[in-house]
Amino acid sequence: MISEPKNRISERALKVWRISGAFYSFFFLLLAGGLTTLTIIFEWPIWISAASILLFILSIYFFVVLFPSLRWKRWRYEVREQEIELQHGLFVIKRTLVPMVRVQHVDTAQGPLLRKYKLASVTVSTAATTHEIPALELSEAEEMRVSISRLARVADEDD
Amino acid sequence: MIEPKRLHPITSVINFLKSLKEFIVPFIFIFLFGGKGPGFDFWQSIIAAAFVLLSLVGGILSWLRFTYRVEEGELRIESGLFVRKKRYIPFERIQSLDFSEGILQRPFGLVKVKVETAGSSGLNNAEAVLTAIKKQDAIAIQEILTSVKRGQTDPYNENEVEESEETLYTMQPSQLLLLASTSGGAGVVISASLAFILQFDELIPYERVFKELQGLISTGVVFVSIILFVLFLIAWMIAVVGTMIKYAGFTVKKVEEDLVISRGLLEKRQLTIPLKRIQGILISENIVRQPLGYCSVYLETAGGSLEKNSSRTLLLPLIKKKQLATLLSPFLHDYCFTPKMVPAPKRALKRYMVRGMLLPLIIAAAALIFFRPWGYLSLLLLPFAAFWSYLKYKDAGWNLHQQQLTLTYRGIVKNTFFMRKNKIQSLTLTSSLFQEKQSLGSIQATVDSGVGLSGGEVVDIEEQDGLAIYNWYRYQ
Repeated sequence: MISEPKNRISERALKVWRISGAFYSFFFLLLAGGLTTLTIIFEWPIWISAASILLFILSIYFFVVLFPSLRWKRWRYEVREQEIELQHGLFVIKRTLVPMVRVQHVDTAQGPLLRKYKLASVTVSTAATTHEIPALELSEAEEMRVSISRLARVADEDD
Repeated sequence: MIEPKRLHPITSVINFLKSLKEFIVPFIFIFLFGGKGPGFDFWQSIIAAAFVLLSLVGGILSWLRFTYRVEEGELRIESGLFVRKKRYIPFERIQSLDFSEGILQRPFGLVKVKVETAGSSGLNNAEAVLTAIKKQDAIAIQEILTSVKRGQTDPYNENEVEESEETLYTMQPSQLLLLASTSGGAGVVISASLAFILQFDELIPYERVFKELQGLISTGVVFVSIILFVLFLIAWMIAVVGTMIKYAGFTVKKVEEDLVISRGLLEKRQLTIPLKRIQGILISENIVRQPLGYCSVYLETAGGSLEKNSSRTLLLPLIKKKQLATLLSPFLHDYCFTPKMVPAPKRALKRYMVRGMLLPLIIAAAALIFFRPWGYLSLLLLPFAAFWSYLKYKDAGWNLHQQQLTLTYRGIVKNTFFMRKNKIQSLTLTSSLFQEKQSLGSIQATVDSGVGLSGGEVVDIEEQDGLAIYNWYRYQ
């Protein structure tokens, strides 16, 4: 077995993911509320309402508790002089290698949620693919953008 | 060629027809469904005439406005009816000039020239199109381009540099027939004509037709099957003729460091692919051709493409798989075309079967429960799905040969993807929890196709093999 990439993403990512997970569960709350109301008005069988509430509780467990921590545990990255290595996934674990020579540009981006927690994501683009490292410390993300673009320029074609 | 030149006047006709084509659908709509009674309304005719006149004038004017010239190492095009556009394209930036001859260009000895640059790659339109110019002029532009690329300062200094030109492949008529008859075009023709017929459900009294059909069916199954067979035969023949027209005279030449592909009977098309822009090579074998030992070869390039809706360029439409290496190796000498493929391990078969059978099983179960008498037909789906999944398992494989990664996998057709290490943009090794338990993994390699990602993926190979490929790609 080869060693995993060294670095983990920021621990605050966990918080951000839990919050956005809560947004997802909010839709299930709406669904549950709507169905319960309809059940009461039209005297539908009670299991409809019960099932929708169960679904809501499950969605909280999955989106707010389980998925973020699993995702965070899996997320690893490493930027070396000649290549970038990423590992991520929930149940399916993906490991990706991107050689520096193939990197065309690097972006950092920050949504409102990430900004609140002083985080940023880094996106690395090749001619064909884009790869995102979500939720790094802002300063680390900035540093990484600069260093990747420098390394990408230095890296030589070794045909 | 410093003085601005116009295109051939036939361009105005082509422009006219083009804008007429855009109007034709709304037109049909108005006439078929807008009119109160049969025949043409007075106002409808006026509007129609106005549109035709407008298209005609527009076609002529846009021809008048369009000029091109070669000046200071640039192709300079000025055009535009209301908004004047000037587009200057430096010759260094031009990737290729693609010539094609439509039915309107041919009688006058004209060609249509598409200018492809790196920016105009893929599905987008070419950077510039010269709709109809004289063949000599097109060749002159081509010569300027080659001399600029060769690094001469004065493009007008004709040194008569000998061009090395070598024909690599010419399609024989018998091959053309085989190509046409083994392509899946018949299905396309059938569905297209069905869709077309269904457009007119207001005009054709389907109910009456169906009633008569029912009568027919009761008179004899044999008769109906003969009719069906004849219809299929006709559709197949249309498809055959279509393919033959499209691919007649298919030749591949190597000119300097470029591949020049030309094809077509009514409309001759020519495409230039610089060898160094090739990102990968794909060999595909469809279900009819594979047992006969034939395959087609596509090039994945980072530039423009001859096919619409696809980034791939057809290099060889039909060739014996055995002859592949001898034919391709001389000019694609970086590639090894006879690698020994490592198959997916036996324990992967179960996963392939489960993956392939799950959906058909659900469909069949649903059909059996809800559509009782006819639902039994859905059981026929299962052996097909099983066979297909087995084929998918059998065709999965990989090989590493020096700097080359080869992946084989089956979607509907069997694909073999040859990639050089330095053309692979990124490599991903995937393993799900289930895969991990059986130490299996999937590998996915991506190359640049001009329109985004393209590449190969092989599912459920030995985890160790996946890691070996991963480490091969890693910087040493």
